[in-house]
This record gives sequence, structure tokens and C-alpha cells, in this order.
Amino acid sequence: MGSSVSHAGAPPPTPAAAPPTPIPVGLATALPPNTEVQGDGKGVSEKVDWLNLPCPVPFEEIQREALMSLKPELFEGLRFDFTKGLNQTFALSHSVFMGSMEVPSQSSDIIKVPTAHYEFGANFLDPKLMLIGRILTDGRLNARVKCDLTDNLTLKINAQLTNEPHFSQGMFNFDYKGQDFRSQIQIGNNAFYGANYIQSVSPHLYLGSEVFWLGHQRKSGIGFAARYNTDKMVTTGQIASTGIVALSYVQKVSEKVSLASEFMYNHMTRDVTSSFGYDYILRQCRLRGKLDSNGVVAAFLEERLNMGVNLLISAEIDHSKKDYKFGFGMTVGE
Amino acid sequence: MASKASLKGKGKAGKGSKASEEGSSAAKCVKEWSTWAMKKAKVITHYGFIPLIIVIGMNSEPKPQLYQLLSPV
Repeated sequence: MGSSVSHAGAPPPTPAAAPPTPIPVGLATALPPNTEVQGDGKGVSEKVDWLNLPCPVPFEEIQREALMSLKPELFEGLRFDFTKGLNQTFALSHSVFMGSMEVPSQSSDIIKVPTAHYEFGANFLDPKLMLIGRILTDGRLNARVKCDLTDNLTLKINAQLTNEPHFSQGMFNFDYKGQDFRSQIQIGNNAFYGANYIQSVSPHLYLGSEVFWLGHQRKSGIGFAARYNTDKMVTTGQIASTGIVALSYVQKVSEKVSLASEFMYNHMTRDVTSSFGYDYILRQCRLRGKLDSNGVVAAFLEERLNMGVNLLISAEIDHSKKDYKFGFGMTVGE
Repeated sequence: MASKASLKGKGKAGKGSKASEEGSSAAKCVKEWSTWAMKKAKVITHYGFIPLIIVIGMNSEPKPQLYQLLSPV
């Protein structure tokens, strides 16, 4: 998610909790509302204060709007999440999933394995310290820690621990936030070291770069990214020495609707994918859909039935591989 | 086991390489101990992380009651 440069430890997916739909999400919160008053008929252009540029988004969130619109958490089967808050900062969550998971196979056939699991989780969310832990019935633990050591320095730890030896992954991140830049150092298991840096060069344009080094395979890479955003649109581009070029463009058509498109090219595997999607954020529901150049059509609906009760419907139709995935679920609690 | 192998190596090789043998056996000891420490840390984290979050959460303000941990209300 975020970085297009491949690295050993993939961060675990964020805990599944559909946001309450009255609060705007996605592009609506990412961009400042358009409050310029057109008093005299023509727009007043603001004088740019070059010494006081805004702080950029973190490097891994440079494609945040496009990812939120184009990559909802599609699933196949039944999903039920229950989050119980014990007080403002502490909550327990129970989650049941019954469905098919895809097993990657060498041939082009799709192998699906029926799985069912129960996941117990505990969240502690303080302004300065965030602890999230999830444990599954097969013994896998997903742990995330985020600690603000000082005002500008943050420590993040992501770990996935399993009972099988040599399958566990962990990653330490140290983030430093300056006035108009952010930098991050990553240390992961399997001797993975990475660093990235992003700087605002104008109120709308942010440029960043990252380097990484994989110790065990003696691979290293460097990548560059740029993000340009205005009130109505966000466009990003990323290019990496692993041969990946990723471009994205998100346009906010109105308060409730945004359209997104993405293009990804992988030079090593000569793989080209482009996708186009929409994101409707309405009062009672959030509907996201996308169409892919691989022949995949997907849609994801989160409907708010009542206070704290959300219905989820997910559909993914892959016409080229003839793979049809439908899922439904319910989320109870905040 | 690694230290015994390096002692045998010291006997055979001679005085010239004694310093490098000591250096590499110290590095091997450090590596062995750090691997042992990482394994113990992994087991402790695996079993203790969620109880740690629950303990920290139950002690935060306002203190929740113990029955709230198990009841679905």
C-alpha cells in the first residue's frame, strides 16, 4: 500500500472498521475546502510564502486518495465485525470471516481454499500512543504500535508473528516531521533497510524519494515520487529502479463524488494495468466501483442501516479469468 | 558448539591467527546471543502483546469494569 517499491515486510492491512458515513472521508478530508470568496468577480490569488510551506503528506500516503477510491477491501464470503468500546481510548473487537481465500498458483488456474477464522483484537488509542493487536484462530498475531516520542519524532512498529518458524515479519519505522518536510527510516527483518524523504516545494507540489536495501538478497533500489494537489484534484507519479512506474489522478467532481484513475507499468514483467473508478460518498452509504484493463469490474458498498450498524456488499467480477467473487457482511460498532 | 570449534581451530592454526580467531568467536557469541534474544522476544510478544494492551486499557481513565470485557453490551 502506498509505496510501489517492493520490500520484504508488507504492512498488515488496517483493521476493518467502516467509517461512519456522515463524516466525510476520502478526498473530502484530504483537500482543504474551497473557501475563497469571489467578491469582486475574479479570484484573488494568494501570495506564496516560500518560507512557510505546508507540511507534506507522509511518503507512503502519497497516493492515498487514489488508493482509497480504487482499492476498497474486497472480500468473498461472509464477514462480521463487532467493535465494543469500553471507554474513549480502549476497545475490543471480534471478527468472523467465512469464505474462500485465493491461493497463488503457478498456472493461470485459480485455486480457492475455503477458510473460516475468528479474530480477536484489542485497540488502545491515545493521542500519544496507539496499540493495535489482532490475533487469529490459527495463532497469527498482527501487532501495530505507534508512539510519539517527541512532537516531531514518531516510532511505528508493524509485526506479523506466526507459529511457523521463519514466516514472521516485523518492521520498525522512525518518522521525523520537519516544518515542510518529512523523513522516515525503516528497519525490517530479513535485513531490510529503507529511508524516504518528502519535501514541499510549493503550496501544491511535493517531491519525494526513497531508497531501500535488502540484505539477504543484496538488492537495492531507489525511487522518486511527486504529488501535485489543488482543491479539486490530486495527481501523483512514482517511478522506481525496480522498474515500476505508477501514475494516478483523482478529480473531485462535487462534494459527494470523486473519480479516480490509475496507471501502472512494470518494466520487469512487461505488465501494464490501468484502472478507472468512482467514489460516491452519500449521506447513508459509500459506494466505490472500478473498472480495470485486466477485465475486472468491482464494486463495494457500505450502507449505514442504523447508528453504528453498517452493511457491506462486495463484488468483484474478473471476466478474463472467469472468476466471480461476491461477499456480504455487517459491521457493528464504531 | 561454535566456541569448541573455534578452540580447535586455535590449537591448529598457530599464534598468528589467534587474534582473528578470538575476534570471530566473539562475533559468533554476540550473534548467537542476539538470535537467542530475538527468539525469546518473539515468543514473549506473541503471547504477551494482547494481554499488555488489555492491561493498559483497563487501567486507563475512566476505568472500565471487569465484566465489560466479556459482556456483549
